[in-house]
Amino acid sequence: MNTSKKQRRQPLPYDVIVQATEGNSEALNAVLKHFDGYINTLATKRLYDEYGNTYLYVDQYRRQRLINKLISKIVGHNAA
Amino acid sequence: MKKSSSYQTKKRYQFESYCKSVLRNETRDCYKEDERSLKQESLFSELDCHEKNQLYIMDEYFAQDHFFNVLGNDVVVKGDELAEALSSLPEQRRDILLLSYFLDMSDREIGEKLNLVRRTVQYQRASSLKQLKQILEGGNTKDEYK
Repeated sequence: MNTSKKQRRQPLPYDVIVQATEGNSEALNAVLKHFDGYINTLATKRLYDEYGNTYLYVDQYRRQRLINKLISKIVGHNAA
Repeated sequence: MKKSSSYQTKKRYQFESYCKSVLRNETRDCYKEDERSLKQESLFSELDCHEKNQLYIMDEYFAQDHFFNVLGNDVVVKGDELAEALSSLPEQRRDILLLSYFLDMSDREIGEKLNLVRRTVQYQRASSLKQLKQILEGGNTKDEYK
């Protein structure tokens, strides 16, 4: 799926949403890919060392937790 | 059944915002859990010496234990001080204490074993306790009771 920046801001296609709520794995993957950036942003943590420098890193545990939550909430969700 | 395209567009945006809400709320839950666990957990490196010592126990293997023989039963008493105080008591009083607190017998049972009235057992038990307390706290008062 080669999407330009302009297309990526568009919400997901209706068909994908319907299939995702029915539990279609391909559609779910598309949804996860769509929200990948947002999930990474939410799962990013700031670390500070003793010199005051800031480090950003993506908490993989939290990332997975968000993904799990999203999937469990999408499947069975009445979107249609 | 094909829905109209404006309906579809609406649903697409609704789904978008629904997903974002789910993710946002879950993130908030994560932060709350982290805060809660921060309050309750502490690092090993930040514990002081006293708290660290509470985290383990040593096996003692009868190093401080003393044995008393009461009516054919061996009673194990832990701790030198207590054992010393007990052995300084008269034999009958010591037997009553051991039977009642280490072997969990009632006053009536003890009375039957030692051929005493229940009331006597109760009185001797109570006064022996007081006596023990004085011995353990003061150390010099045991002569009064002999």
